[in-house]
Amino acid sequence: MTLFFQQWYGELMKLFARRRTYIGFGAFLALQILVFLLVKKFGLPTRRVIAAAGESADYYLSALTVASFVVGVSVFLLGALFLSLVAGDIVAKEAEDGHLRLLLARPVSRFRLLLLKYLTCCCYAVFLIQFLVVSAFILGLALHGWGGGYFVLVPEVSVVAFHDWSTGLERYFFSAVFLGFSMTAIGSIAFFLSCFRIKPAAATIGALTYVLVDFILRTSGFMEDYQHLLITKHMAVWGRLLAETIDWPLVVRGYTVIFAVNISLFTLGYAVFESRDLKS
Amino acid sequence: MALLEVRHLSKRWPTGRLALDDVSFEVRQGEILGLLGHNGAGKSTIMGVTLGMVRPDVGEVRIGGRSVQTDRGGALRQIGAIYEAAVFYDYLSGWQNLRAICALSGWWDEAEVKRVVQMVNLTRAIQQKTSTYSHGMRQRLALAQALLPQPKILLLDEPTDGLDPEGIREFRELILHLRQHDGMTILLNSHLLAEVEQMCDRCVILKDGRKVFEGPVPSQEKTRRVFQLETGDMGLAREVMNRAGATMDKHGVVEVPLNMEPHELVAALVNGGVQVNAWLPHRRTLEELYMGLSSKS
Repeated sequence: MTLFFQQWYGELMKLFARRRTYIGFGAFLALQILVFLLVKKFGLPTRRVIAAAGESADYYLSALTVASFVVGVSVFLLGALFLSLVAGDIVAKEAEDGHLRLLLARPVSRFRLLLLKYLTCCCYAVFLIQFLVVSAFILGLALHGWGGGYFVLVPEVSVVAFHDWSTGLERYFFSAVFLGFSMTAIGSIAFFLSCFRIKPAAATIGALTYVLVDFILRTSGFMEDYQHLLITKHMAVWGRLLAETIDWPLVVRGYTVIFAVNISLFTLGYAVFESRDLKS
Repeated sequence: MALLEVRHLSKRWPTGRLALDDVSFEVRQGEILGLLGHNGAGKSTIMGVTLGMVRPDVGEVRIGGRSVQTDRGGALRQIGAIYEAAVFYDYLSGWQNLRAICALSGWWDEAEVKRVVQMVNLTRAIQQKTSTYSHGMRQRLALAQALLPQPKILLLDEPTDGLDPEGIREFRELILHLRQHDGMTILLNSHLLAEVEQMCDRCVILKDGRKVFEGPVPSQEKTRRVFQLETGDMGLAREVMNRAGATMDKHGVVEVPLNMEPHELVAALVNGGVQVNAWLPHRRTLEELYMGLSSKS
């Protein structure tokens, strides 16, 4: 076990020592600031919904509500892109650059090496989302200060909820961890493609295309009866953790599917990688 | 004792090209074996199979008695390698690169790493990012990572490729130092004949995936009996040689058969009417051997 953690430390060190890794963080921060400025100038579009529900918009338009809105927009616009970039690079780029030949000259199995890389990807996904959630919250505090209510609107899973500040804080950070887990599915798709003998950019574009098509199929209504086959449907289950009463069976089902998809993609990626000859 | 055994390796690429065709040889403890051949002869493929990165269709490689194909971890624990180009994570320092690479072996001993870094003469630059390294420094760092943690056998895949003459000389001295002082066993893959001639005890020559020669490097051999004949009538001399069962090339280089003594051949030449101007011991060069094998095939 110590050996495993030593090896994983090496992988994490490589990922987080790379300047490129932080482009995602920087881009997220820039986007968040932009969205906050827009919210400050034009107000939050959910103000009318809160008022229509007979609640006080001034009370519920808090740091948490604004942060939640910003997280939703940022993850939608950039999350998939940066996770695909990192996961798409992690095997394909190393194979292309010749680093894999350097690493596999060591007494480490291909399975172990891929597992280390995959876990590093998942780690990055969770870490990136936590960064996004915390920075959005800090910016929200700067805009609205501490306190107020927490209004939640997640149309993907039909959740509308009103929380007070302390419950809202709990739910906001609790659901963020699960949002991170959801995003590992995108990382897994890019990782799987990255195991083939393809360019890193092809793995990234392939993963993004898959997620985009999946998302369009889900939102267009063409696959109303087959939504359970779409990964973005299951990824959206994190939003249920923001409901006033959490529907645990649905949450567990959603994450079981994501977990199964992740394992399957990793196994298939490993099978592809194992059968490859690594020679320039 | 053989530390590395290559047994009946055959490999055909998916494109249909034959990369290796029943290649077998062994590397004995403490020796430097040169693997020679033209580009595409199969040298790097053998290295790849030895490191478990290329799967052979037939055959196996055993390191210290362990099969790379069935017990890769056990086999590779005894090996250090420079395989193909020396690439590193350019955004990391030399030290961090070593740390990340050694982590995969589950090993890190700062004192030993410092000793090896000093041996390859990188102490001053080891904390710099490898993006600032020259080609020679990269090769030395590649050698350092191959030497950590203390392998029994070193696999060097064209290690002096792209180095300037000083770099080549420095690298060669390092390798010879390793053999002399640490008794390191080395498999050196190269297409530089002079390099192999100066460093290796024995060599294996590959051509189009087949082994065409295995034996001592000519300049190192002590048992072969080759002489240079100088005469005014090469045609007659060749006839006499052929009758006597010896072979002579167009330059008058004669190889004495095992069942004859050199003086018997000289007597045969004189009796056959050949005027022998000179009969001198001849040291064959590796280039002569290599070119001879190439022209034969």
